[in-house]
Amino acid sequence: MDHIKLGLSALAIAAISAPAAFARDQIQTAGSSTVLPYATIVAEAFGENFKFPTPVVESGGSGAGRKKLCEGVGENTIDIANSSSRITQADIDTCKSNGVNEIMEVRFGYDGIVFASEIKGPEFAFTPADIYGALASNVAKDGKIVPNTAKTWKDVKAGFPTQNILMFIPGTKHGTREVFDTKVIEAGCKASGAYDLFKAASKGADDKAKEKDAVSACNDLRKDGASVEIDGDYTETLARIAANKDGIGVFGLSFYQNNTDKLRVATVNGITPSVETVAKGEYPVSRPLYFYVKKAHIGVVPGLQEYIDFFVSDDIAGPNGPLAQYGLVPDPELAKTQEMVKNDVAMGPLK
Amino acid sequence: MSIGILTLIVIALAAGGFLLGRQIAVGKVAGDIRKLHSLPGYYGQTVFLFTAVPALLLMLGWLLVQPLLIHERVGAMIAPEDIASGSSASLVMSDVRRIADGLALIEAQGAAIPADAGTVREALGRVGVALGTDVKPSVYAAAKAYGAMSATGGKAMSVAVLVLALAGFGFAIARIRPAFRARNVSETFVRALLIGASSVAILTTLGIVLSLVFETVHFFKVYPFADFFFSLTWNPKFGGGSDLGIWPLIWGTLYISLIALLVAVPVGIFSAIYLAEYASKKVRAVVKPLLEVLAGIPTIVYGLFALITVGPALRDWFAQPLGLGSSSSSVMTAGVVMGIMLIPFVSSLSDDIVNAVPQSLRDGSYGIGATQSETIRQVILPAALPGIVGAVLLAASRAIGETMIVVMGAGAAAKMSLNPFDAMTTVTVKIVSQLTGDTEFNSPETLVAFALGLTLFVFTLGLNILALFIVRKYREQYE
Amino acid sequence: MTAEATNIPAPKRRSLYQLDARTRRRNASETRFRAYGVAAIAFGMIALAVLLWSILGQGLSAFTQTRIAMDVTLDAAVLDKSGKRDPVELAKATTLAYGKILDQALVKQATDKGLMPEGLSAKDAAGILSKEAPAQLRRMVLDNPALIGTTVQIEALANGRIDGLLKGRVTMESAKLDSNVSPAQLVLAQNLKDAGLLAKSFNFDFITAPDASEVRPEAAGLGVAILGSLYMMMIVLVLALPIGVAASIYLEEFAAKNWFTDLIEVNIANLAAVPSIVYGILGLAVFINFAGMPQSSPLVGGLVLTLMTLPTIIIATRASLKAVPPSIKDAALGIGASKTQTVFHHVLPLAMPGIMTGTIIGMAHALGETAPLLLIGMVAFVRDYPAAPPEGFLDPAAALPVQVYNFTRRADPAFLERASGAIIVLLVFLALMNVAAILLRRKFERRW
Repeated sequence: MDHIKLGLSALAIAAISAPAAFARDQIQTAGSSTVLPYATIVAEAFGENFKFPTPVVESGGSGAGRKKLCEGVGENTIDIANSSSRITQADIDTCKSNGVNEIMEVRFGYDGIVFASEIKGPEFAFTPADIYGALASNVAKDGKIVPNTAKTWKDVKAGFPTQNILMFIPGTKHGTREVFDTKVIEAGCKASGAYDLFKAASKGADDKAKEKDAVSACNDLRKDGASVEIDGDYTETLARIAANKDGIGVFGLSFYQNNTDKLRVATVNGITPSVETVAKGEYPVSRPLYFYVKKAHIGVVPGLQEYIDFFVSDDIAGPNGPLAQYGLVPDPELAKTQEMVKNDVAMGPLK
Repeated sequence: MSIGILTLIVIALAAGGFLLGRQIAVGKVAGDIRKLHSLPGYYGQTVFLFTAVPALLLMLGWLLVQPLLIHERVGAMIAPEDIASGSSASLVMSDVRRIADGLALIEAQGAAIPADAGTVREALGRVGVALGTDVKPSVYAAAKAYGAMSATGGKAMSVAVLVLALAGFGFAIARIRPAFRARNVSETFVRALLIGASSVAILTTLGIVLSLVFETVHFFKVYPFADFFFSLTWNPKFGGGSDLGIWPLIWGTLYISLIALLVAVPVGIFSAIYLAEYASKKVRAVVKPLLEVLAGIPTIVYGLFALITVGPALRDWFAQPLGLGSSSSSVMTAGVVMGIMLIPFVSSLSDDIVNAVPQSLRDGSYGIGATQSETIRQVILPAALPGIVGAVLLAASRAIGETMIVVMGAGAAAKMSLNPFDAMTTVTVKIVSQLTGDTEFNSPETLVAFALGLTLFVFTLGLNILALFIVRKYREQYE
Repeated sequence: MTAEATNIPAPKRRSLYQLDARTRRRNASETRFRAYGVAAIAFGMIALAVLLWSILGQGLSAFTQTRIAMDVTLDAAVLDKSGKRDPVELAKATTLAYGKILDQALVKQATDKGLMPEGLSAKDAAGILSKEAPAQLRRMVLDNPALIGTTVQIEALANGRIDGLLKGRVTMESAKLDSNVSPAQLVLAQNLKDAGLLAKSFNFDFITAPDASEVRPEAAGLGVAILGSLYMMMIVLVLALPIGVAASIYLEEFAAKNWFTDLIEVNIANLAAVPSIVYGILGLAVFINFAGMPQSSPLVGGLVLTLMTLPTIIIATRASLKAVPPSIKDAALGIGASKTQTVFHHVLPLAMPGIMTGTIIGMAHALGETAPLLLIGMVAFVRDYPAAPPEGFLDPAAALPVQVYNFTRRADPAFLERASGAIIVLLVFLALMNVAAILLRRKFERRW
């Protein structure tokens, strides 16, 4: 098989009559579009200050990035996968079966997720229960599960303005959606008491099955147009808010920080999102960001070790580095990560 | 000798052979070319083909085989213990190639090649070839051997290719006689080439099917077949428990494409007719390329146009007054905007086809007193119909495959509804979003993209077979 | 019989100049028909005008950029601690060190000339400089180490928000809410502008420079993307046009009507409807995973786009071959030309305008396509220029539509203008291709 591949590559070269070999000089990374801005900032600074070429940073989603990482060892596979969620056992197994035995897991910071609306609109102070009450298809009312009929925010909770409920939430392909589901919708579901009612109503065999049913009932969002899924990027959400002044969008913290003149951010549980409040753990909606390094490529792809050292160094990922300025929440345990990266410690089994 | 130069030499030789062959043929009949079987140029052509084609084929074959042989030999030189754990022989080989390239570069600059493996990294660093680690002796030896073998192989190839080219040259020249059927030989060759070109389409289809089938099978192992084809809900979720029914997506695709064609086909055909039949030459020269620009504007621009301008306008002026909902992203928005994008697909091609209808048909029609529009409706359009159907099919194909406009104009909600002011989505959009998302790759939520792709492929295949049938049935040839 | 005949009223005698009802109806329908044509074209033109207007309105400003003129003293003690001007030693001074030098120079200049507004800290004042400026200065010094120790006059890029002030995107009101710029910084910029030290000038870098990261919208350019697109178009043109035309000729003129021909025909029609991302899947599976070609390379991109464009070219070419009247062929065959001669000498030249149209539409489609590139690693951040062809076909590169797509996804609003600017460049490419096609078409077009 290898031979056919090699031959075909040669054919490709011959087709354009180039006497070149395939030795790759630059680092290649791929993955999450949430990590992409940070990775490009680091790649740019790396290319400027080191003699190595600037790494190529692809987007395409965390899942696709990890898939590419696990495709095998060799030059036409990537070196680093950026991921906005933790690698799963299934991915590790794929990696193993393709000969990628050792992966380094590097957590370099956190991403805050915020709710924001048109700058001229009213202010909102949400709790997860409010958002659940606005978006879920079934809500708890007087100890009973009833279909959600709220039309305006005022119907959800007295004190909110009479503004139509219209939320732009990430589509199911986004990692952000997973965080939104677990940290907002499920939390709100539990806080509003709906979870217990769902669980009681479930016909599951044992407690576990009942819990599963309840969680899936919690995540059932209404489909009458109150919540609009966005498959594009935050820029699309922003454009939709510009076209629908009633809309409230879900954004990444760094995106909001670059558009504070257009968006009004909502507090969650009374906490205003910022790099500091997320770092302290006060603001509830956040998630860790990772990149995964193929250990077999360290020492083979020029500059790879230098790049990952550079990425997690205090100058870059620290609280005063360019990443934090852009909106990354620095990892309080960065020193530990630096130590790990320096020694090229591969990740153990998932806990 | 580099491959480029070698190719040039072979081609130059072949070109020379063309001239020579021609001359010899003319010479053999003492300038009276009536005595030749074919025109003199064809004799030249046979020489050209016999010189260039076998030699270039040999070169391709050589380039295919040589790396295999070298790889085999050099690979054996690397000590197994030098392959780090977790690494692979192919990775080490890439290092070998990198070092060999660097050494060639050093040599080209006239510097001395480092004697032992220890100093290689530094020496290569000076010429701009970065290595990841220090070089192990066995790897360095392998790299030097690799370089030497490539060089020898290259020389041998040059010689072999040139010899073959000359042999072909001589053979073809020797064959030239007045009775030699040179035209038939070269035409057979051309025909083979044409067949080869058209089979690219089959290879592409094969490639697509193969690259989709594997993962689709994978998908149906983790997700029931019946649910995919017969469920009417599309609702993927993180962590399993998704409903992945295809029908809402197919419905959205057909609905949006239909609206797009309702916009593009009349506008496109009327533009084409006006340009071909009424417009002055000057107007035509300006308007036609301008319309074609519409096809070249990146779809993301149309997407933003749909999102910011058309969507809210349709909502405020039509949907809300008519009580059909208050969504700014709708099938209508995406369809109308996509229709605008498709205008040139219909107009430009139809224009060329209408233009190609013989003038005699028009003259005949005018002669019996028909007005211009009657001529167009009753004579020209029927004559141009097969071509126009082709153009419309092309537009329809583009409509089905479009992503960006749908994402921004029609939203991402999979729904089945008759209301054109509802948000819906298409198969293509979901292929892109499921494939590039953050979900785990081996989950049904991602693999469904392949199943969607294959289904769409089969679906459009069916439509196309139908279209072929219809076109063939109604095709008429006028003259 | 005669009685009936006499029942037919004699035709009215009337002047030819007086139209009867039927003629009037026919003429009205003629006018209507014509009006439909005009309306259709007007619709297309209006749509085009609106689209172009919005692109130009947003994108033209990308071609100018704000720069700050300043004198910078390159302190040898900071930049070259060894004092030997050894390139290896010099490279150890990172952009951080250069950044500090620039910041000091700016603050000094502003204070000396009395341009610093009240209450603006030195750190914030330096914030009006682009983060790209230190990198530019460093490159300048590394290229010419003799500059160390001297004072040089440079034109440093201003921050994207300051640039926005001069382009009307940023105002005092928006700055109050903006976390990335303060009104005091805008006042400083205004002062510098009034003193003639800060000005907008034409931005060649937008066309030649590589992409920049999200924190430097002011430095982002299209150089790598233009090269990448150019390389891919070269491959597409060289492969798709000959293969497409050859396949069409075979199918239209030579192929016997049998199952094999039908198979090819249905295949081609179907391939035109395959969503473009599926070609990306194909490219990933065949060219990268199987054939082992490098990721993110224009070669793979060009091959994928070739496969994608082929059906379009084939369908268009066949339509125009079909449109050549049989009389032409019959005439050629009649005077003894062979089938091949007829096709290549007579039919093909006459079908050329249609082939050109098809190729242009196909290439335009290929030039603007993003989705298939997503899977073969070309939707990427690439800062190093690919080498000259043919080696450059294997180097990583971006592409113009990819750059547009990337720019529109970025958080900083300054990238919106860049995205529109990139579209303008894309349209210019398209216009050039169209002009070429028009010239060719004019040469070949005829009517029978």
